[in-house]
Amino acid sequence: MSQVMNDTLLIPLHISYIQNLGKNKNDLMYHLTAHLRMNAIYWGLTAICIMGHREALNRDEMVEYVMSCWDEETGGFGAHPDHDAHILSTLSAIQILVTQDAIDRLNIDRVAKFILSLQQPSGVFAGDSFGEIDTRFSYIAVNALSLIGRLGDLDVEKTVNYIAQCRNFDGGFGCRIGAESHAGQVFVCCAALTILDRLDVIDIPALSWWLAERQLPNGGLNGRPEKLEDVCYSFWVLSSLSMLSKLHYIDSGKLISFILSAQDTEGGIADRPGDIPDVFHTHFGVAGLSLLGYPGLVDIDPVYCMPAALIEKMGLRKGWQALERRTG
Amino acid sequence: MHGVKRARQTPEALEARRLKEKSKLRDYLALTDNVLARKKRNDWSSEALHATTQLLQVNPEFYTIWNYRRHILVKGMFPDSTPEKIKNLLDDDLALTMAALKIHPKVYWIWTHREWCLKNVPNGPGTEDDGDARGWEKELWNQELFVVEKLLDADPRNFHAWSYRRLVLASMPIPKPELSELAYTTKKIESNFSNFSAWHQRSKVLTSLWSKGQLDETQSKEEEFELVHNAMYTDPNDQSVWIYHRWLVGTGDSGDSRDVLEREIAVIHGLLEEETDSKWCMESLVHYKRLLLRKHASFVDKSLLTQECIHLLEQLRKVDPGRGARYDEIELDLAQM
Repeated sequence: MSQVMNDTLLIPLHISYIQNLGKNKNDLMYHLTAHLRMNAIYWGLTAICIMGHREALNRDEMVEYVMSCWDEETGGFGAHPDHDAHILSTLSAIQILVTQDAIDRLNIDRVAKFILSLQQPSGVFAGDSFGEIDTRFSYIAVNALSLIGRLGDLDVEKTVNYIAQCRNFDGGFGCRIGAESHAGQVFVCCAALTILDRLDVIDIPALSWWLAERQLPNGGLNGRPEKLEDVCYSFWVLSSLSMLSKLHYIDSGKLISFILSAQDTEGGIADRPGDIPDVFHTHFGVAGLSLLGYPGLVDIDPVYCMPAALIEKMGLRKGWQALERRTG
Repeated sequence: MHGVKRARQTPEALEARRLKEKSKLRDYLALTDNVLARKKRNDWSSEALHATTQLLQVNPEFYTIWNYRRHILVKGMFPDSTPEKIKNLLDDDLALTMAALKIHPKVYWIWTHREWCLKNVPNGPGTEDDGDARGWEKELWNQELFVVEKLLDADPRNFHAWSYRRLVLASMPIPKPELSELAYTTKKIESNFSNFSAWHQRSKVLTSLWSKGQLDETQSKEEEFELVHNAMYTDPNDQSVWIYHRWLVGTGDSGDSRDVLEREIAVIHGLLEEETDSKWCMESLVHYKRLLLRKHASFVDKSLLTQECIHLLEQLRKVDPGRGARYDEIELDLAQM
């Protein structure tokens, strides 16, 4: 096996890796992960957009697939045709339709109603009618309602109030009241509060300290104190830092090297060097590199995790800061 | 995919694996089609339940099938069942999810299904009259705490398990005394000081015990300082301990008081003398000294403290250059105070 060339982003390989993901229908794994299909398409689409190759996946096929997952009964989207509607796949579906300029296909009233029906008396959102609650779902609701222009229908005070109660003494946020701070939950809470213009809820010095301490000596970022590094935290920690305008608090050069070292010679990025790649880590690795100003990449909006130009065009851009894009 | 090592395979080996998978794949797709077809025609029979068991044993991440299973139970099974029968059905589901959690301890859907089972335990085996109407509920929630402890033994940082633990503690018909939860966190911390999940839980339990007056705050805080000093000296590079220390210094009635800040600064200085390049000693000293400057300005030697901070920040930039920009900003902030 040849040694990986780890000093540059292998864009053509990652593009073909993503293109081939839909062609593995003879693999058991492809079918075992059907419940993640809608998310996977969103990850793949966003990654190719950030690498400047939006055309690498067929738009019309994708839009038709998304629409085939709409559940008329509930108004939400499932991850796959015949799978139940869930707020997770509903946000991915909306993000794909917005990115592909196909939002006219969406029954906005029905989708908004589905999302709003999931808010609980406490202010948090459930993922579906079975009632699992999580601040991830609050962010998803806020993001999705914002993208479809229906934030005005949301009880903002109630939503913010629940998120505020999930804040811990270290400045971070957990998945529910009382839960430990976790970089993924920090991202969703920061992004929800950013969209709602409620950064006043955040203890910025404490949280930016906690986030900066996620970087390990090898350059990678972990999601909680004394845990291992993982490429996906590159995005969750970086996006939060960028919303707080504190991206310079970590060593970007070392993080770029770490993300690049997790690339597979056959395309795709893994959680850490030497592991099997997947589209989730490929997307979050590329998104992290974009925020770090890696040359040749397209800007990503850290709040919506979508191409920045698109969000700006919709008039939804908030006051985040990425590192300046380098040239070569 | 988290933590799965890459192994390069020859085209021949890949082909051999694909052939071997072929029949598995065929079975899986047939089973999926069967279950989804049943779901579409609202089949709530025991055969349908059995088919979902088979499918979920292969793929416990298939959330739609957990949803369908709950519909089968609620709409097809429970209406004609005695409370005993319902309890037995839920026992089966608890066993099914337990087996799944052993292999997939981080799959949200499995935890959610367990929670649903426990929230649907019928009254019994006794009645309101004999005072044992909630006997099964008590039994199952108690058992649940044991289950979650097993899972935290296997992975003491599993945040699904910790989150679930808090849910169990809040839901038990006979609440477990919070003092015993404090003892649980002690046990977890003593077996590994790096377990921040346990420190976090401890901060929440103590806050509650103090506010309810079940523990004397002043005395309990002193015991906490002793524990955390001990941990600090054991491994000064472990950030879990320092983050907890920051909470302890800042919390409660004596939060950020001058006495506490000055005493803790002295303790950390003592440790820094032994561990001269300890980043966490320096970082914490800067933090506490800045608190003295900010909150007790008229009682402290401002220029001395500022000078000490600037000196520490200089050292921090050397031992921790990656976060240098943050130290620069703190220095700028000091100049403006």
